[in-house]
Amino acid sequence: MLRLHGIVGRADDAELHQRLHALEHAGALERVTMEEADLGRRRIRLTSDKGTDCAISVDRAEDLSEGAVLLLEPGRAIVLRVGVAKAWRLRARDAGAALQLGWHAGNLHWRVRFDGDMLLVLLDGPLAEYRARLAALLDAGLVEDGGDG
Amino acid sequence: MSAVSTRPAARVGIGGPVGSGKTALVERLIPALMRRGVDLAVITNDLVTAEDAERVRRSGLIDPARVAAVEAGACPHTVIREDPTLNIEAAAALERQFPGVELILLESGGDNLASTFSRDLTDFWMFVIDVAGGDDIPRKRGPGVIRSDLLVVNKVDLAPYVGVDLPRMLAEARAVRGGRPVLTTNCRTGEGVDAIVQQLEREVLFRQ
Ligand SMILES: Nc1nc2c(ncn2[C@@H]2O[C@H](COP(=O)(O)OP(=O)(O)OP(=O)(O)O)[C@@H](O)[C@H]2O)c(=O)[nH]1
Ligand SMILES: [Mg+2]
Repeated sequence: MLRLHGIVGRADDAELHQRLHALEHAGALERVTMEEADLGRRRIRLTSDKGTDCAISVDRAEDLSEGAVLLLEPGRAIVLRVGVAKAWRLRARDAGAALQLGWHAGNLHWRVRFDGDMLLVLLDGPLAEYRARLAALLDAGLVEDGGDG
Repeated sequence: MSAVSTRPAARVGIGGPVGSGKTALVERLIPALMRRGVDLAVITNDLVTAEDAERVRRSGLIDPARVAAVEAGACPHTVIREDPTLNIEAAAALERQFPGVELILLESGGDNLASTFSRDLTDFWMFVIDVAGGDDIPRKRGPGVIRSDLLVVNKVDLAPYVGVDLPRMLAEARAVRGGRPVLTTNCRTGEGVDAIVQQLEREVLFRQ
């Protein structure tokens, strides 16, 4: 178990970017991937792409997020990747339909984002299970189903 | 143990339907964790009372000052998911008062199969169901059953009395959880509690 506490830098930081690039060439860059659904955790156990068992924590004031550098040594670095949530894209036909769609999404406690006139539902499970909840609105043509592609 | 390995204190949620045995599990976990030297505190959530907190304080298992109560005032899920501020503040207060604390257990008020913990509040959460609730509960695919980091099936001692096929219940629970763990307990005897402690030691306490 490799104990890692705190974030030492960001992978997109200009100076760090070069060092990480050099380490990657030398085969000394490891990545750990956290599922999007785990975002918010401050303690998590993850195995890197090179098989290192990492016990990761950050202080409550810090966030584990995409590109966080968790270890930076002359001959080794570990960078966090965060999986991207699939999002189901929906557009309501008119204001009345939008009110209904918003009510349902809230009532179902779905995690949502907004993109212009689209509602994005972040998927924690199979799309079919989400579709089933809105079947009435979809079948009535009140909401346009933009898929999760 | 160096300070760095215990900070921040792990926050572990315990949710599940009314009466499934959440407080009974807390009462089993406290001595099991203390035996291993884990510095511990507890937060209980109830509707409009501090009933479970009082029960844990009276148990004699833990310094009563280490048990905090949050009153939701509304559906229990509101304070563990929609707006967990009250619980976050209670956890921060315990951390200030007991700087060495390594683990804070947060019991949700008894709720329904849809209740889940916000990741902003907990690093790991378990969902406690019991065999007396019926062996069809996993098939009903509630978010708590499916998404929790650990599913605990409690009251296994009652299976013969309530006509529950436990092996089938467990197989169905595993089938809907995509490989995430399912453990069984009998909180009357403490059976199965060590396996939960080991899970916590590995996943959030980083002791093994
Ligand atoms: N037979 C048996 N009874 C149990 C077990 N665990 C808990 N109980 C009993 O189940 C009842 C409810 O237990 P609690 O621990 O209060 O349940 P809870 O989930 O905390 O309940 P709420 O907080 O009110 O939702 C109590 O009478 C316990 O003694 C078990 O493993 N076997
Ligand atoms: Mg209780």
